[in-house]
Amino acid sequence: MKKQILTIGTAMLFIVGSATFIGCGNSENHEDESHEHAEGEEHVEEGHDHSDGHAHEHAEEGGEHHENTAAFEGEKVKDLSLIIDAYLELKNNLVLDDEAATAEASEKMLAAFNGFDKSSLDESKATEYAEIEETAVENAEHIAKSEIYHQREHFVGLSEDINDLIALVGTNQKLYLDFCPMANNNKGATWISEIEEINNPYMGSKMPTCGKIQQEL
Amino acid sequence: MKWIKKIVVVVLVALVGIQFFPAKRNQDKTILSSDFTKTYDVPVNIQTILKTSCYDCHSNYTEYPWYNKIQPITWLLENHIAEGKAELNFSEFGDYSKRRKKNKLKSIASQVKDNEMPLSSYTLIHSDAKLSEKEKTDIVSWIEKNIN
Repeated sequence: MKKQILTIGTAMLFIVGSATFIGCGNSENHEDESHEHAEGEEHVEEGHDHSDGHAHEHAEEGGEHHENTAAFEGEKVKDLSLIIDAYLELKNNLVLDDEAATAEASEKMLAAFNGFDKSSLDESKATEYAEIEETAVENAEHIAKSEIYHQREHFVGLSEDINDLIALVGTNQKLYLDFCPMANNNKGATWISEIEEINNPYMGSKMPTCGKIQQEL
Repeated sequence: MKWIKKIVVVVLVALVGIQFFPAKRNQDKTILSSDFTKTYDVPVNIQTILKTSCYDCHSNYTEYPWYNKIQPITWLLENHIAEGKAELNFSEFGDYSKRRKKNKLKSIASQVKDNEMPLSSYTLIHSDAKLSEKEKTDIVSWIEKNIN
């Protein structure tokens, strides 16, 4: 009997122990949930190619590289309209201090990147496009799973990415590049807007009109 | 009472069984030319901080804790490290595009400043990985100097 109790005791210890660890792990990786809906649907997968020629033996294993798995259905789009639409939606939700809607818009942006027909770019632009896409997707992924404070931090980088993307690919949408000197811990940050009026996505309701138009795109 | 005993036996057998599954070890001893410390001129104190507080999950070399030998902890850590490296890998930092480097440096600074990194679940066990206020300002100010 004593022996049995001992065995059961050890087993319990194991179970409790592993449960604790599983618990810890889960709290840190909630990122998968958001992408789960992509499974089973027919989604367009971009060849995420890291063709840097470096022999990273580990890179191939264990899914160490990010893959944008957001689902996109239908024909690929040759212009930036979907990406810009998603960006503007994201921006407008930050203006409203709406964390959940901002996260949703960033999911749309991930899908929009998968829906962009990058094969239509000529070769000279392909490398720069790939670099911009990589960081924009990373920024959008973080926005999708973060609190609003952190969303705004990544929005600084995302805005630069989208601005560079527009400079690279071009658009016929009328857009403005706005600047707020107080954003980004007083280091200043830009954003892109579809309207002349200033609606600040970094400050939100605290200081909605801070900033000015820097440039028409 | 009998079924409890059965369940316990099944769980025990499973726990023993999974101990035999091999694990991938993240212990590449070669320091690649793309390593962070070769990409930038990193002062020794910052190098030490990075190695103690970051490299276990964000490089190709992990200093494993003893309990890593026990499943399912091995798997959990393996997953955790793969995730950490996908987000940021100091061993391959030099291979990142200029844009991604800048993005990562910014994120490192803000994560450190906001006490998001190193993770509290990690410093709970690795108390030496906890960053002091001075260490934090050292990292942040060094990054701000080197970001462009």
